[in-house]
Amino acid sequence: MAEKKVSVWSDNRFWQRSATWVTGFASLLLIWLTFDTMGQITMGNQKDINNHITKRVPSATVINYKVEYKMNQRRGHEVPVIGGDDGKGDSLFKVKENFFGRDNYSQKEADALLHLGKLASQAKNCMDCHTLLGNGAYYAPDLTKAWLDPAWQKGGTMQAMTGKSTKEEAMAEFLQNPGKYPTHARMMPNLGITQKEAVGLVAFLKHMATIDTNGFPRGFGKIKEGVVYARSK
Amino acid sequence: MFEAFTDVNHSFFGLLNQGPLTLTIFLHTVIVLPMFWIYFQEKKRLQNKR
Amino acid sequence: MQGQSNFKYEGQKLASWYFTVAMILFGAQLLLGLVAAIQFIYPSFLYGILDFSIARMIHINALVVWMVYAMIGAVYYLLPDETGIEVVGIGIAKLLFWILTLAVTVVVLVFIFIQVGAADIKTIWFITEGREYLEAPRWADIGIVVVVLGFLANTFLTAIKGRRTGIMTVILSDMIALAGLYLAGMFFTDNISMDQYWWWWVIHLWVEATWEVMVGALAAYALIRVVGANRKVVEMWLWIEVAMLFGSGILGLGHHYFWIGTPEYWWEIGALFSALEPLPLVGMFVHVLYDWGKENGFKEKAGEDTSSNNTPALLWLVSNGFGNFLGAGVWGFFHTLPQVNIYTHGTQFTAAHGHLAFFGAYATILIAMFYMAVQGKYGIKKLRATFASKMAIFLITFGVVGMGVALTIAGYEQVLIARAQLGATWDAFFIAQNQTWMAQAMDWRLIMGVVTTVGFFYLVKDLLSISKNPKNVY
Repeated sequence: MAEKKVSVWSDNRFWQRSATWVTGFASLLLIWLTFDTMGQITMGNQKDINNHITKRVPSATVINYKVEYKMNQRRGHEVPVIGGDDGKGDSLFKVKENFFGRDNYSQKEADALLHLGKLASQAKNCMDCHTLLGNGAYYAPDLTKAWLDPAWQKGGTMQAMTGKSTKEEAMAEFLQNPGKYPTHARMMPNLGITQKEAVGLVAFLKHMATIDTNGFPRGFGKIKEGVVYARSK
Repeated sequence: MFEAFTDVNHSFFGLLNQGPLTLTIFLHTVIVLPMFWIYFQEKKRLQNKR
Repeated sequence: MQGQSNFKYEGQKLASWYFTVAMILFGAQLLLGLVAAIQFIYPSFLYGILDFSIARMIHINALVVWMVYAMIGAVYYLLPDETGIEVVGIGIAKLLFWILTLAVTVVVLVFIFIQVGAADIKTIWFITEGREYLEAPRWADIGIVVVVLGFLANTFLTAIKGRRTGIMTVILSDMIALAGLYLAGMFFTDNISMDQYWWWWVIHLWVEATWEVMVGALAAYALIRVVGANRKVVEMWLWIEVAMLFGSGILGLGHHYFWIGTPEYWWEIGALFSALEPLPLVGMFVHVLYDWGKENGFKEKAGEDTSSNNTPALLWLVSNGFGNFLGAGVWGFFHTLPQVNIYTHGTQFTAAHGHLAFFGAYATILIAMFYMAVQGKYGIKKLRATFASKMAIFLITFGVVGMGVALTIAGYEQVLIARAQLGATWDAFFIAQNQTWMAQAMDWRLIMGVVTTVGFFYLVKDLLSISKNPKNVY
């Protein structure tokens, strides 16, 4: 039987079926991927830390630990290091660090602080000036690793300006009275952030710095004093 | 033979990631391949018409 | 768009209401955009009164809401034409319009006068949700869902009762997805990675999937109406576009999952799928020009008048084809690969892409729909572009492209200095912001914003007066 010449490529039904298939199957794949990702980005708890299990989004109790951001040879980029590093660039979960004078926040206390901070970050519209995990507005600095910013460490300009002796206190002080500590003509407005909310926000920032962002931002704070050979305003 | 797993957690999709673009080419292929079947089915239908 | 109405259907009259509010919100978007642009240059401007965060929030929310209004309007406009019958439940549809408009007004007033709240779930419910683009408080979310369900019921009941075209099939299925996705943005979580994961389901799957398909369907309808394109051919293109847009766009979502705490496998998935996103946009551009030329050829051969029956709409349609490809396609591809995105993520690059894409892909085609509604309202056979029509399209396009270029340059500077050279810290950010090249780019952005706004006034004037000039109507 001779083949009848037909044009499938200009046939609406072929394209309608293809569109339906492609859309449906891509959606199914996305749902599958979503389940897989959900499992990986669920927040950890203190038990994970005790068992030395690295979570992409670790327990809120990381506020009790020293946090760094270091190059990891195996991963090929920088990763958050919690409680000191084990020599291979992975977290040791040992070295503690005071957070507002304590390093023994219980799971419940830490969760409550993080909850308050996350709520504050939304209630004050942080994302409409800053970026969080790189998303938001571009009027003010990215806050993904703000906790690790050299400016807030001992001897850093921001900590010195607030006259506080720890970075968490300096950050909380700044958040409550941003107009008092201008770092640029572009000042942060006073958003009515209370002492409690400020502590929550700092906990939120410290926790965000421990999220494994696949090496974003790259080379964070590696250059402490930037020299740019250009005329500035 | 297989690339060492480097991501934080093991996963099926991470496993398909065996070097440049293997995972995404695999996904593209499974999306596009069945279109051949749709093509030949529609061709048959058009040929049998009239 | 006032005066004697010649609409054949009540549904189309309702569409013109939606279009009117859309234009008002478009104006609000430009106004607040100017405020934010001024603040980049003079940070003390309205400091403590209408801070950048508030100006910028209203700028982007007005954008989204005017486009949603215009899309709902566009669907009500083409619904009777496509199905051949009046919109079912038009009374309820009109009531929903007023409810939605009232809700939007209250939300905007709260944004302007209350601005921020205490760190309390009550703030999320009644003042702001504080998630970029989805700032509308929870009560308004629920209101929006109710109104959209009503809108879906209207369209479905009408489509079932009337003629069923390919365009309607695409629009109906697209709208279910569009409405359903909004639900993914309506919850609170302490986990910022989880938060952003689902936030992108709404944002990306709206603007890079369902909205694009909506544009494809509107363009198909407009081509049939404006240049008299063949329905079978147009609908075949539409299905190809749906396959390609959803095929690349759904998993293209992965390009937002590179750095928010999600697994590394998203690098690959996001990279290639989203790199293919421009392809259907090229297709759409070719499609518009091809159909236009083909129909003109037919008319020429038959010795007929080759001018289109709505020149301003056609002009905006062509600029949609090109703008969609350039703004969404090319500018999106610029920074979609993780190798590039690790430095460009969260810089003015994104803002450049945002301005060009929202304008090129959506504003253009929706403005074309406004002109079609003017034509329909006054029962005009042929609508010709006036001086104001030409000034509007020239100034708005020139202004937005100018802003896009200025922001691209700013982004490039920021990527190299703040990110690559200085490592993304607080100081790095401000050192980059202080550079002359950044400052100059911001000056040009403001100038181009003013140009766009002047074009907007021409557009308003034209939409209100084009029908009254007998020279342009015959």
